[in-house]
Amino acid sequence: MKGRSAPCLFIVAAVLVPLLLDPRGYWIRVLTITLLFAAMAQAWNIVGGLANQISLGHAAFFGIGAYTSTVLLLKFGISPWLGMFAGGALGGLAAFVIAIPTMRLQGHYFALATLAFGEVMRVIANVWTSLTGGPGGLSVPFVPPSFLAYSFKLLRPHAYIALAALIVVTVIFQAIRRGAMGYRLRAIRQNADAAEVIGIDTTRVKLFAAVISGALMAMLGTLYAQVAVFFDPDTVFGIASISIRVALIAIIGGVGTAAGPILGAFFIIPLEEIMNGLLSSRAAGLSQLVFGVILIAVILWQPRGFITALNSLRARLSRKGAP
Amino acid sequence: MTILDVRAVSRRFGGLQALSNVTFSVSQGEIVGVIGPNGAGKTTLFSTLMGLIRPDSGSVMLEGKPLAGLKPHKVAALGMTKTFQNVALFAESSVLDNVLTAGLLRHGVEAARGEALKCLDRVGLREVAHKLAGDLSFPERARVELARALCTAPRVLLLDEVMAALNHAEMAEIMRLMRSLRDDGVTLMVVEHHMRAIMNVCDRIIVLNFGRLLADGTPRQVASDPAVIEAYLGRSAEKIRQ
Repeated sequence: MKGRSAPCLFIVAAVLVPLLLDPRGYWIRVLTITLLFAAMAQAWNIVGGLANQISLGHAAFFGIGAYTSTVLLLKFGISPWLGMFAGGALGGLAAFVIAIPTMRLQGHYFALATLAFGEVMRVIANVWTSLTGGPGGLSVPFVPPSFLAYSFKLLRPHAYIALAALIVVTVIFQAIRRGAMGYRLRAIRQNADAAEVIGIDTTRVKLFAAVISGALMAMLGTLYAQVAVFFDPDTVFGIASISIRVALIAIIGGVGTAAGPILGAFFIIPLEEIMNGLLSSRAAGLSQLVFGVILIAVILWQPRGFITALNSLRARLSRKGAP
Repeated sequence: MTILDVRAVSRRFGGLQALSNVTFSVSQGEIVGVIGPNGAGKTTLFSTLMGLIRPDSGSVMLEGKPLAGLKPHKVAALGMTKTFQNVALFAESSVLDNVLTAGLLRHGVEAARGEALKCLDRVGLREVAHKLAGDLSFPERARVELARALCTAPRVLLLDEVMAALNHAEMAEIMRLMRSLRDDGVTLMVVEHHMRAIMNVCDRIIVLNFGRLLADGTPRQVASDPAVIEAYLGRSAEKIRQ
């Protein structure tokens, strides 16, 4: 009971809030993007949190998903719902291919190798103009609104789809974390040799985590493309816009926990939006500067993420509540 | 019946011949001690048997199956595992989770939890099951490592200095455990520096020196072998005795 109340409260709030927001307004867009980034950070968390491999290249899978569904829709008129699964399959395949050479790497080396992979994908998308439209980007074509065509007049359905995606990814994350795979990943993270010696196929387990994470990230790329309607290689394959942002969200919220990416996304994405709204008219770059300073302050205050602060607060409250 | 057969295993690290043409075999149900001066190749031998280190040449057979080229997890699945000299626990996980993770080799999560609790009972650590492994004392950690190895249901268990830093009562307890494992059909190979303990518990002892097999026999044979005495005490000791 105790562990269930917070998720239930969150879901109820997330279902109700879109009904209160102006359906054509700015805030429902912020909410949708926030939910999407929470889901993305949760997908990243499977590799970054459970296997403790800090990937800085997850934009690669995200972009693959965005481009796959959009190109299939543009060239063959295939519904993005199907395109999402095609993108997920390609994203998982890409994760498999990149995991083979990188999974032996540790710490910074893994981060750098994945960072480079993300950049390679961005360059390819920029150059392969016949498929991707190159630096000019792609527009998702307008189709008459219907659920099957994944086309809506208003943003409200997108907010609910993003919420559903966040729930699905979080359930998958929790199932992995609590199941046999979670025990194996934690063992590998702490001592790979000891894990092998007690019978854990460390290669297979790491590949499994990478492929699930990459496939989910790609599927979320499709959802993003449908919300954004227009995107280019620098957005969906971007280091700062995607790769580092999802890692940052998970880390600032609490890496390796289910609540971490959600807390992180609901802090970082709205904060960024507010900073942009307040400050971008004053001086170019000022909003980024203030955003950066706030991030540094928060990380100094809670290096292990908001979840630690929240847990100690909860412990203090329950102690006070006890007779 | 031979359960483990090691034939002419060699392994070189740069200029150091860590193992040189090592040949021996172990029978089902034996407790075999491995002794030798520091750097003799004892830990390298265990790592090579497990597949953590590839031998340059030679072969290892477990119950008639060749282990050449197999990764450690495959060797563990075939029924052989080891503990680590410096204790390699999952320090941020609970004691129970450390052991449970090993149980996943042959069981699902719930059954593995049951097996893990049995293994913890066996080493007398049930009451600290929910502590973090990293918070335990060194002797306790060595026992967790033993419980974790047991939870893979091994046929052959390689114990690398599990008695280091134990007091006499704790050592007696581990020796009792070794014998009871043997009674359950587990074959044990034991690296240990504590001579009285190893002479007491082992059926047979092999001696390594500079990566070579120096002697292979009963504790009494080995203890009176002049080559072994020389390796341990040096040539001068021999002269003192005369």
